[in-house]
Amino acid sequence: MQAPVQDAITVAEEQEKWLADAMALVQHHAFFMHRALDANNLRDALKFSAQMLSELRTSKLSPQKYYELYMRTFDELRKLEIFFKDETKRGRTNADLYELVQHAGNILPRLYLLCTVASVYIKSKEAPAKDILKDLVEMSRGVQHPVRGLFLRSYLSQISRDKLPDIGSEYEGEGGTVMDAVEFVLQNFTEMNKLWVRMQHQGPAREKERREKERRELRDLVGKNLHVLSQLEGVDLDMYKDVVLPRVLEQVVNCKDEIAQYYLMDCIIQVFPDDYHLQTLETLLGACPQLQPTVDVKTVMSQLMERLSNYAASSSEVLPDLLHVEAFAKLSSAVVKVIEAQPDMPLVGAVSLHVALLTFTLRVHVDRLDYVDQVLGACVKKLEGKGKVKDSKATKQIVALLSAPLEKYNDVVTVLRLTNYSKVMEHLDYETNKVMAVVIIQSIMKNNTSISSSEKVDALFELLKELIKDSEGAPSMDEIDEDDFMEEQNLVARLVHMLVNKDHEEMFKILTTARKHFGQGGPKRLKFTLPPLIFAALKLVRCLQGHDAGDEALVSPKKIFQFLHQTVEALSTVPAPELALRLYLQCAEAASDCSLEPVAYEFFTQAFLLYEEEIADSRAQVTAMQLIIGTLQRTYVFGVENRDTLTHKATGYSAKLLKKPDQCRAVYACSHLFWLEEDGGTQDGERVLLCLKRALRIANAAQQMSSVTRGSSGPLTLFVEILNKYLYYFEKGIPQVTSNLIQGLLELIGTELQSENTAQDRAVDAFFASTRRYIQFQKQKGDDLAERYSSIQVVSPP
Amino acid sequence: MVLVLALGDLHIPHRAPDLPAKFKSMLVPGKIQHIISPGNLCIKEVHDYLKSLCPDLHVTRGEYDEDLRYPESEQLKIGEFKLGICHGHQVIPWGDLDSLAMLQRQLDVDILITGHTHQFKAYKHEGGVIINPGSATGAYSSISYDINPSFVLMDIDGLRVVVYVYELIDGEVKVDKIDFKKPQTAA
Amino acid sequence: MNFLLGAFGPSCTISVDFSDADTRKQANIKKENGQSALVPLFHGQESVVGEVRIDPIPGKRVEHQGVKIELLGQIELYFDRGSFYDFTSLVRELDVPGVIHERKTYPFEFSTVEMQYESYNGVNVRLRYVLKVTITRNYATNIVEYKDFWVRNYQPHPEINNSIKMEVGIEDCLHIEFEYSKSKYHLKDVVIGKIYFLLVRIKIKHMELEIRRRESTGSGPNTYNESETLAKYEIMDGAPVRGESIPIRLFLSPYDLTPTYRNINNKFSVKYYLNLVLVDEEDRRYFKQQEITLYRAE
Repeated sequence: MQAPVQDAITVAEEQEKWLADAMALVQHHAFFMHRALDANNLRDALKFSAQMLSELRTSKLSPQKYYELYMRTFDELRKLEIFFKDETKRGRTNADLYELVQHAGNILPRLYLLCTVASVYIKSKEAPAKDILKDLVEMSRGVQHPVRGLFLRSYLSQISRDKLPDIGSEYEGEGGTVMDAVEFVLQNFTEMNKLWVRMQHQGPAREKERREKERRELRDLVGKNLHVLSQLEGVDLDMYKDVVLPRVLEQVVNCKDEIAQYYLMDCIIQVFPDDYHLQTLETLLGACPQLQPTVDVKTVMSQLMERLSNYAASSSEVLPDLLHVEAFAKLSSAVVKVIEAQPDMPLVGAVSLHVALLTFTLRVHVDRLDYVDQVLGACVKKLEGKGKVKDSKATKQIVALLSAPLEKYNDVVTVLRLTNYSKVMEHLDYETNKVMAVVIIQSIMKNNTSISSSEKVDALFELLKELIKDSEGAPSMDEIDEDDFMEEQNLVARLVHMLVNKDHEEMFKILTTARKHFGQGGPKRLKFTLPPLIFAALKLVRCLQGHDAGDEALVSPKKIFQFLHQTVEALSTVPAPELALRLYLQCAEAASDCSLEPVAYEFFTQAFLLYEEEIADSRAQVTAMQLIIGTLQRTYVFGVENRDTLTHKATGYSAKLLKKPDQCRAVYACSHLFWLEEDGGTQDGERVLLCLKRALRIANAAQQMSSVTRGSSGPLTLFVEILNKYLYYFEKGIPQVTSNLIQGLLELIGTELQSENTAQDRAVDAFFASTRRYIQFQKQKGDDLAERYSSIQVVSPP
Repeated sequence: MVLVLALGDLHIPHRAPDLPAKFKSMLVPGKIQHIISPGNLCIKEVHDYLKSLCPDLHVTRGEYDEDLRYPESEQLKIGEFKLGICHGHQVIPWGDLDSLAMLQRQLDVDILITGHTHQFKAYKHEGGVIINPGSATGAYSSISYDINPSFVLMDIDGLRVVVYVYELIDGEVKVDKIDFKKPQTAA
Repeated sequence: MNFLLGAFGPSCTISVDFSDADTRKQANIKKENGQSALVPLFHGQESVVGEVRIDPIPGKRVEHQGVKIELLGQIELYFDRGSFYDFTSLVRELDVPGVIHERKTYPFEFSTVEMQYESYNGVNVRLRYVLKVTITRNYATNIVEYKDFWVRNYQPHPEINNSIKMEVGIEDCLHIEFEYSKSKYHLKDVVIGKIYFLLVRIKIKHMELEIRRRESTGSGPNTYNESETLAKYEIMDGAPVRGESIPIRLFLSPYDLTPTYRNINNKFSVKYYLNLVLVDEEDRRYFKQQEITLYRAE
């Protein structure tokens, strides 16, 4: 039988146990120490306090746990300190105490006791503070164990904090000068940093992660010294510049430790005032290229730049200082130096640095477009030869670089002035480039930015080229997602409406420039990009209407119609015949409004040609006819011949629509072609009636067909519709449309409705009823029209 | 009280980039019970946007609409009113009120919502009311010149409908209202 | 019982008192049993003055052939069944033969006694000073009484006191340079110095400074050495790196030290050493011992 497996005690449990044991012992020794304190027994007090402090000699505890133990003894040492003070009142000299505690055999308890006595000693002013402090910081070198040494020196820092011979302090003068205070803190800092860095290399390689975690837990012990320095009154700008910063940086650079360098650089930046940084910018930045390659120097520099930006924003008086110290120049040169010093820096790091610099520039020197362009230019230089960047992190940073000016200026036109902008964009891979292009367009849309010249259009479309045309690196059409493509192109279409200028010549230039770019986009794009151009052109035509600029003008309706013709033609070859047909008709009507008969006729011709050759779908044909008839009905520009030709064509095609009801409707719609309301328009009652009669015949035929194929006659709705048309023309006073005809039709419909063969259709019933109601209404109106209606009998069905 | 939004002929993106900002800020989801559009939105994004304002969306086909499945016309009942929708390019002459009245009789509706001309109209005749909400974006039209963006909000309450027309004139939204009362139908 | 005591017990008590007992300093000396006692303290060239008092037991008569007091300086070696050597022997006759039937006091004086060696209680050797009073008798044993006193001698501070500075090491492992500020220290002095690490290739746990005393007795082939570590003082906790300089400040006053005794009367020596010890992670000890001279200063 196997022995039971022993429970594995986790590391955490082990630590808890050791800490608990140590705390218990501390408590135990402290108890006896208290007894000695109460009895004024110095010898025993020293003996038990030394035993208590011996618990801090442990190597077993993690830094976190050691800290707890340290805090516990710290509290006890405060009581001891009070006792020492009382001892001096009872006649023992400070110097005596200072020697007595040094008799302790173990160095760690000895030094804790020494610091505690020193606290009282310094306060008594029986010896100069600087001498005591110097002695303490020197003797502390005996503790070379990193964790124990760090905590000891931290204790030293704590008890000495309020006893430094700073300017204005009670210890100044006899006790020393602020220089002594600075020297003390700097030395303690240097030794602490050395110990902290040493932790990195202790222990096996596989425990590196745990060591680094422990180091991070201890970092504030080291950083605290910098805090102390920053709080000294006597550390003014000169002291900082001449003494503090150079010494601290020396230690930072020389320690060659990644964790320490990053933390301390950050600490320096956070802890000392911004105007100090401004005045020591070169020195501070000079350290950056000297740091270890693995240090995240970009974050350090971004922190600095962010602080300086905030500083600049805090008051208007700061900006001149920034300019005076040439902050921008120093920062940009530092960025370059750091990148040069670290040839293995990944691309993402280099670009991030530029992003940080750009952020700074945009915040502080927002009106210096040249600075912004310079930053972009520096990045371009770095990206040179790299082609399309494949690393997604680096790409993200490039996008950030490009988005920052967009967001800041909210004006793409300003961004277009940055000569390096498009060069940076070149390095984005295909997908990201498109995303960026979309961002740019969205910025324009959101901010309602007008792109008001053809040069700007050129510059803008250069940035958007991945959207507008197929470049070399682009995937083939089969690989592209349809929905995404449509969304993109619709966005480009929307963009067209932002290309505006009130000056007609310029506007036309804009249109032709855009057309040129769009023309390179390939057939799939044209049906998205060309229509908005066409409508923009039509709007321009309207602006020019009435202004006779003459044939020599750079822009005229004629020239625009030429442009329109080519553009719509391009669409019809995509192929997009239905769209092209609609647009031809739009142009035709516009041309008609400009009294350009040949142009209008040409457009109608093209429309008809498309109808004949390209539009085969019956439903599409119906709509196309509606549009042709509708447009033609409104055009007054044509002379008799042209009009006849077109009308003939229209009616002919109407009668040839596939489905009988469609035929019928199209034909009676054509009736309106012969009755133009406006002055000078044709009004041919004969032809109108002919259309209506033809429609009736078709309706009849439809009915019979329905009866044959389905066994019942089809809906009578067509008859009711035609009836309504009769009423329409009757009211217009066409002599050919008599009340007899109407009466006849009324009765016909009424009979048919009651016939057994007819299928019940509530819609038709309702339609007929409302039509009869209409007639009744008209009859009751009591005006001329009512007179004419009087002869019509409306019989309600049973 | 039932709120019905009627808007159409947006012609996005061919003729306009988007709804005017001032309209967009007024159209908040959850406030409207029905949306009626005669058509010419023209793309799915506009459809989706309208759907987000109110799920009960009725659209008829305009000649530039991308979605070919929209019906040529539609009828629906809201409260006591029968409403009909049709874009209007099918009714020739375009914008002719008598011809539109004929369509209204054919659809047998109290209110006919129609578009195509991009010009706001509210026309009462013996058969009912014809409302053209105009173009919500003020898009170019070969038919009308100088178009201000407009849309219509109908407040249907029993036999009464108040038609509010919102028009964007020189950057300001102006509101007008027209009252219609439906006669009690005989039993 | 009394009868027995009376027959064989002492017939008188003898006490020796120094004339300046009230004012004379005492030395606190630890005895072999661990307890300490106070003993009158003299310095070389001093006069030893006092009186002897003889008190006969009431009813008894002390017949004697003479009373004398001797001042002896004695070195006692413990091994070899104990051998005594008197290096100083002075005598004063106090009384001619006679009878003592009541208290009798005899003043004595040994003037300007050399007493050049310090009293010393060691492991294998003892140097003592003692006053011995003898009442000589014909037919009975002599009555003897002893009175110990302690001698300490001061030295002036040395005119020349060189520092000790040396570089030691183990090839490719450890190289240090140690420095002690003086080679001669008085008993209440402080050893000031530093250890500078030139090369560290071993994993050091800690470093301490020991004070060791070596007592040598005998001479030639019969020399017997006894070493004792009197103090262990930790001067470094943890592992240093190359270039570190560790300070030393060791106060001598807490420790039970005597001055360096060189060849006392050719019988014994007591020497002191500073022993620098480095302990590595595997508890291996590396050390360097260096003799220092201790002296007693005023």
